[in-house]
Amino acid sequence: MLTDLSQNEETTDRGTKVLAYLVFIAFSFALLLIRLFYLQYVKYDENLQQSENNRMRSVVLRADRGAIFDRYGVVLVRNRPSYQIALVPKDLKNQDSVMARLLSIRDSAGVRMFDSLALDSAFQYCRWHRSGTVRILEDASSEQVAIIEERSADLPGVVTEVESRREYPYGTLAAHVLGYTGEVSDEQLTKPEFKDYLLGDRIGQKGLEKEYDKEFRGKDGMKFIEVNAYGREVGLIDGMGVQAAVAGYQMVTTLDLKVQHAAEAALPDSVRGAIVAIDPRNGEILAMVSSPRLDPNIFSLKRRERNKGWAEVALDSMRPLTNRAISGVYPPGSVFKLITAGAGLEYKVVNRHSHMAQPCTGGYQFGARYQKCWGKHGSLDLVNAIRLSCDVYMYQLGLILGMEKINEFGERFGLGSELGVDIPGERSGWLPDSASFNARNKRLGWRWARGLILNLAIGQGQLVTPLQEAVMAGSVATGKGVYRPHFMKELRTLDGKVVRRYEPVKIREGNMSPETHQALVDGMDSVVNHPGGTGKRAAIPGIRVGGKSGSAEWKKGEKTHAWFVAVAPLDDPQIAVAVVQEAVGGGGALSAPLCRKVMEAYFFKDRPSPDSLAHLAQMKKDSLALLRYGGSAKHDSLNAADRKAQPKIHESASVAKSDPKKMEGGR
Amino acid sequence: MRGSGKFIGTSMKIDWLFLLAVALLMGFGFVLVYSATVTHDLVWYDSRWFRQMVYFVGGCVLAAVFSLVKIDYWRRLAFPLYVLTIFGLAFVALGGGDSAKGAGRWINLGFIKLQPSEFAKIAYLLALSTWLSKHRVSLSKLSSFIVPGIIFIVPFLLVLKQPDLSTALVFTAVTLVEFFWAGLSFWELFLLLSPVLSVMLSYPQIPYSQILWGLLIIVVFLTLFLLRFNKKIFIALLCVDIIAGYASTMAWNSLEDHQRSRVMTFLDPMRDPKGAGYQVIQSKVAIGSGGMTGKGFGEGSQTNLSFLPEEHTDFIFSVLGEQFGFVGALAVLSLYFLLLWRAISICRLHFAPFVNLVVAGACTIFLFHIVVNIAMTIGLMPVTGLPLPFLSYGGSFLLTCMMLVGLLINMRYQGGEIEDNY
Repeated sequence: MLTDLSQNEETTDRGTKVLAYLVFIAFSFALLLIRLFYLQYVKYDENLQQSENNRMRSVVLRADRGAIFDRYGVVLVRNRPSYQIALVPKDLKNQDSVMARLLSIRDSAGVRMFDSLALDSAFQYCRWHRSGTVRILEDASSEQVAIIEERSADLPGVVTEVESRREYPYGTLAAHVLGYTGEVSDEQLTKPEFKDYLLGDRIGQKGLEKEYDKEFRGKDGMKFIEVNAYGREVGLIDGMGVQAAVAGYQMVTTLDLKVQHAAEAALPDSVRGAIVAIDPRNGEILAMVSSPRLDPNIFSLKRRERNKGWAEVALDSMRPLTNRAISGVYPPGSVFKLITAGAGLEYKVVNRHSHMAQPCTGGYQFGARYQKCWGKHGSLDLVNAIRLSCDVYMYQLGLILGMEKINEFGERFGLGSELGVDIPGERSGWLPDSASFNARNKRLGWRWARGLILNLAIGQGQLVTPLQEAVMAGSVATGKGVYRPHFMKELRTLDGKVVRRYEPVKIREGNMSPETHQALVDGMDSVVNHPGGTGKRAAIPGIRVGGKSGSAEWKKGEKTHAWFVAVAPLDDPQIAVAVVQEAVGGGGALSAPLCRKVMEAYFFKDRPSPDSLAHLAQMKKDSLALLRYGGSAKHDSLNAADRKAQPKIHESASVAKSDPKKMEGGR
Repeated sequence: MRGSGKFIGTSMKIDWLFLLAVALLMGFGFVLVYSATVTHDLVWYDSRWFRQMVYFVGGCVLAAVFSLVKIDYWRRLAFPLYVLTIFGLAFVALGGGDSAKGAGRWINLGFIKLQPSEFAKIAYLLALSTWLSKHRVSLSKLSSFIVPGIIFIVPFLLVLKQPDLSTALVFTAVTLVEFFWAGLSFWELFLLLSPVLSVMLSYPQIPYSQILWGLLIIVVFLTLFLLRFNKKIFIALLCVDIIAGYASTMAWNSLEDHQRSRVMTFLDPMRDPKGAGYQVIQSKVAIGSGGMTGKGFGEGSQTNLSFLPEEHTDFIFSVLGEQFGFVGALAVLSLYFLLLWRAISICRLHFAPFVNLVVAGACTIFLFHIVVNIAMTIGLMPVTGLPLPFLSYGGSFLLTCMMLVGLLINMRYQGGEIEDNY
């Protein structure tokens, strides 16, 4: 216990502390009050004016999305200005009268500019949401913008905003590769990888636009402006810096517009199929077509037209949204015989002069089953078996080898797995052997049987994509490895500085003995250039083309898928093309001419085929019909862009022509 | 009852003046939350002002319960409660929480979301008071700081990890005031704080920071000399100060540019016009445009136009300043002063150190929130996430405030029943 004395001391001590505490409170409150007095009395007028007359707004400065070019600098995707008419809830003074005025506005054709239902819901929204803007007319025409600007004094709180939208000057050309943009979806916004995006931002949804969205996008800036009572900008706020927008990177792709045109022209929308042309030396994709196509311009249109266009492509039974070149998996058909033959050579089961035990008499007896060939070829050596695409030869070779060895050889050239192309949606395909066949068909109760080798040896039962076939044909012909197929060549800043360059990546060694290589090259040569070869329609005078046809059965009673792969020039391959057309018939007859057209466009750039020019003109017309806004100006700039690009193409073509080495191969 | 009859109503067992201040402040709170959110909420039973009222009623019940608990139980419960909230804080700090706006500070129990750092304020207050009511602290005996130091540093670090710097600073303020109450003098407090000051002065944006740092070291030296500390403490403190100064300067120089800019933006929000600076400017304009008498209830164009993103929580004072002007701000500050005065006066009534410490600590929690929040809205301090007691919208914090009110009533009502000394 404490004594009375110390208790008194303690009491006074507490009194002092309480007093000190109260003084401290009073002192800090006094400081706050002085500051409040300063703000509310001394600076009253200034602050009142700022809050009443001038308002501060933060304005997002949108970054320009990067354009996309072909390998010679012709623009494939660019931006166009799009005008939006919007309400600013903060500045809407008298909602009812503004709405009435908006409803009364008619354009020169006498049509009401605004829909009363949409307008009503927009005004309803404004009543409860005071920030931001509410769009009432999307992608307005220049006439509509002029009408609104003229009457801006009557329409406080109605503003015109400019945003840039994507434009694809060649319409459907390479649409599956380029992709399209759309508003970022609510679902995407909830995911962490989209945390930098705001509601209403446009984001790449397919193709290159999606894969390289971060690169194209740039960085939005922000500025702070004062606006007057009508919501018009008065000036910048002092002391608040402007963060400038940084434009996104531009991309130079590996696409060759000329080759792409030829491929587009060769495959009309009425045929389902795909064409892929690559440079096997480095994996650059020169052209990629998937048919039927869609026009990505519809995604830049106003909502109603966009929805209509979307419904058309989404519900089409031909499935134009699928990029068949990378997402379409087909049985390879006789094209696969290159792999079967190659595996036989590589595992030293046969050499190029080997004959099989049984000659082709129109079929092959396997146990109780009689497996047919498409002709009667007699006794053949390996090169001629490739030339005539003899099934009986391959049945026997396949049975000797077994699928494991054949598949191993196929995997060396990129079959059976994703190649890692830089657009989304690639599928891996499938090379079945006993283990994977049983695993995959467990549910159906199917078991592996040796007889299946007969089918698989001639390419019935595997699944491959057209891209894989082009890569396979190219790397078999070069014998120098498989390079990752890609579209991105360079990323550049707006002023042309290269920030990233795609270095070719070797993904498979693609190794084989020189004898194997030579035999396969001779086989591909004989398919096109020797009498009786199945692919003589792919031959180009003056250039040594090699190839392999395929007619893949996929359903009883239906016509076959027509495959053709071609490589040229065979001595020093520069281009490999794969063509597939769904359910049309034989590959040698129907797809080989398409390969030829594509390769001609590559080798003879200054000799445009007439139908590809007509196709180009038609496509330009189609896409311009969609771009109503600022039509005449577009025409000029488009033509100007072409004129600029044209000499470049001529230039490079003449280089190609004057290069004696390239032409030598043909003779 | 000792020391009675000196101030108004000291003979009352329940301080009605104090309760009146609480009620009036809450009333102001409804009005402001209503005017700030009425345009956003559609139906009354789902509106924020109604929810605020529900929280208040719940808070009143909690306060009544808190005031009726036997005072001795508060001391016995202090450490179990403390351990419980430490678990809560650790759960949130280690990423188990529900994140709102990036920082995970919430525990979602399904029917209610709790913010453990709010309740940690009370548990910490009780735990530290319980310890300090039995043990004196003194600079001449450094070992006396070990246990209070541990009690302080664990929740401090856990809250800092969330990251919630402002709540961590609330713990610091409570600690300093309780140390003061438990026997440290001003000079000793100054010495205790001197390493922190030394670190702060290494921030290069402060003018003449090097000269000021030199002055600080001299003052520390003189204080140590004049208060006749023993040699060990003398040398140790001086060394700590000097090393802290140099180390922090070196650390600052070794920071990457973007890290440095982040620190500077926190201290000076105007550097970042996109984020914090925008709010402060708008808040200043809103308060300033209120003038002496304000624009009237519901009339504030600044707040009604949603220039302020957090107007109903952290920036509620700008709504007050705009709609009710200087007079309204003065009235609210007077009510706060009344509240704090009536609360701190409990210390004059009762001798028991536990009562004194709890009362001083509770007052400090209120005071720190009030001063830091208002200073933030008028641009005197960096933007932190501290709400304004009784006025800001928000369930957890309002419940915490009402619990503190219950504790204060309890201390006044039952403070005489506790007998202890050092």
